[in-house]
Amino acid sequence: MDALLLIGLSVVTTGLITGAIFALVAAGVTIVYGAIWLPNAANGQFFMLGGLLVWSLVTGWGMSPLLAAALVVAASVPFALVLEKGLIRYFYDVPDRNIVYLVVTLGLAQIFAGIFSSTYGRWTDNYSLPAAWPGIVMIGPFPFPKTRLLVLSIALGLLAGLFVFLRLHRVGRALRAVFQNREAAALRGVNVRGIYRFAFVLGTLVVFAGGTLFAMAYSFDLTAAWSMAIVAFAIMIVGGPGSVLGSVVIGLVFGFTQAIVSVFANPTIATFSYLVAMLVILLVKPSGLFTR
Amino acid sequence: MPPSPRARRALALALALAVVAGGVLPAAAQPRGEPVKIGWISELSGTWAFFGATCFDAAKIAEEEINARGGVLGRPIAVLPQDNRTDPAQAVAAARVLDSQDKVLTLSGPTSSDTALAVYGYAEQNKVPFVVPVAAFPRLTRPGTQWTFRVEPDAVGWGYAIVKFVEKQKPGGTLGLIYSDYALQRAITAGIKHQAERSKIQVVSDIVFPQGATDATVQAAQLKTRNPDYVVVIGGGAFDVTITNQLLDVGFRPAQFIHPFGTVKQILGWGARSVGSYYGTFFDHSLANLNDYARGLIEKFKARKGYIPAYIENFCYSTVYLIKEAVEKAGSTDRTKFRDALRAIDTKEITTGIPIVFDKNGARKEYMYFMQIQEVGKDTYRSREAFYIEWDPEVIPVYQLAP
Repeated sequence: MDALLLIGLSVVTTGLITGAIFALVAAGVTIVYGAIWLPNAANGQFFMLGGLLVWSLVTGWGMSPLLAAALVVAASVPFALVLEKGLIRYFYDVPDRNIVYLVVTLGLAQIFAGIFSSTYGRWTDNYSLPAAWPGIVMIGPFPFPKTRLLVLSIALGLLAGLFVFLRLHRVGRALRAVFQNREAAALRGVNVRGIYRFAFVLGTLVVFAGGTLFAMAYSFDLTAAWSMAIVAFAIMIVGGPGSVLGSVVIGLVFGFTQAIVSVFANPTIATFSYLVAMLVILLVKPSGLFTR
Repeated sequence: MPPSPRARRALALALALAVVAGGVLPAAAQPRGEPVKIGWISELSGTWAFFGATCFDAAKIAEEEINARGGVLGRPIAVLPQDNRTDPAQAVAAARVLDSQDKVLTLSGPTSSDTALAVYGYAEQNKVPFVVPVAAFPRLTRPGTQWTFRVEPDAVGWGYAIVKFVEKQKPGGTLGLIYSDYALQRAITAGIKHQAERSKIQVVSDIVFPQGATDATVQAAQLKTRNPDYVVVIGGGAFDVTITNQLLDVGFRPAQFIHPFGTVKQILGWGARSVGSYYGTFFDHSLANLNDYARGLIEKFKARKGYIPAYIENFCYSTVYLIKEAVEKAGSTDRTKFRDALRAIDTKEITTGIPIVFDKNGARKEYMYFMQIQEVGKDTYRSREAFYIEWDPEVIPVYQLAP
């Protein structure tokens, strides 16, 4: 009985934590895509940059992981503003800009990957942080590390905050209006270019937050960037491009699918099981589950 | 207090004499002439960049030491790097450049089995000697190999050694395997499964993760319910640390863990929670039998890189010395004579005194240490030797187990 409970609780906690991080990164990607039609192929590298910067501050400067994570998330704002001003804004008026953006961000991804592999990649092959909250919480027979509980709480809190902001705040509503119809939003007085800039900054910040939380929960290496980029795109497509709710729901579905399947099948099948979930959902609703 | 004018004049005279003497007197220890070139095809970027860079730095230390002591055959030795970007195709391109343009005596350098196998194909086809410092896939010394010699024991053999260790620790014990799906890990576990049957060790769990996996909580819980005596943990990259932590989280004791290999960064990544666990290695700064070369490598490497070297760095350093010795035995830089000298070599690893003898396929007489972690700090760790074993490369059918 204890064995069953141990495995059951491990499924629940794994599903929640991986799902919440998936959802957070996908939400960042979908905000940018929904507003600007920018499929950010560099999102995995942004995610990695967040994690690597936290690792640098903690291991190099002796900072606490939580403080380092907060600083890195704050630093993502000027990072995104510089990128928006120096690159992204020049393609706002290009017809079929989503293809242009895909190519541009693929280039960015290659540049970041090259920088990471020739700097961080030569320093170590794994990046691990000390526990942000040392110790274990016993949930029945299942020992749950407090750091993971903390990461889960922050991830869920950020997702809830994002959801409330988009629903209730004036700027959040303007952002959603641009998601739905930018011409109509402009006619109603929304500064569409301002919203583009805001969406890019917000989306980047959320992806950075995902990277910092991932770094606190797991040891990671540079390969995590591409894996996360693919997962985030898959979640966005299945959840419906531009739908934060879709990202949250599908992120959790993917996380739980992996965790549940891994009880009955080997981890290889489990890891790719979300792709089966993706195909099934797309067969039922090709435009994505939460597309308006 | 500043020196007096008289003292300054004396110092200037001494310096002038030293300069004149340096230019006129024969520099007996200074190597001269065309360097003996080693083409070092290394992972200086890409996913394996850490291993390639750390290996190359150790090789450079050997190069500097050898040249400071007179070089080889009175000529300097030169380790010429080429970045293979952790890409087999790029590794072949690098081999071609080093062979046809730089006219190197021998190829060396890869730390990944994938890039090493690519260079192996080039070396065997074009009859270029190839000394592999760190790549453990058995195919690198498959039967019929003529030009390739591997310094690191093969990975299937590591599996054999692990079971022998478990057999000594707990005869009739049980073993859980949890690893990532890479060629290296598959080779190690193939050796474990083969030998376990013969050693009456029961493998109660065989959990393999795909590349890129990040979480092992559910599998750790499943493994806990099987309660093996020992768990062999071989995650790929950072996932190794994640698996280790998650197994500890669900209640495994560190002393139940056997990691087939431990690089410095890996051991530091496992951290203080892993004190008591075991890892296999071929060189460790905690070993008792280190000689002056080993101590010199450790000091110089730490001064240069900020961390202590382990088996990867040692193999790369020792490989340059091995090449030097083979050139001296060959008495020339003719490739065939050099290859024949390597075939016939019967020497000892410069840092450890462990024998280096190659079999007909270029595989080394194999050995492994098992160390138990005693202490892990921020930048260093301490271990103790728990077990040592030597074996012949084909004590088990390595080429059938990892074809």
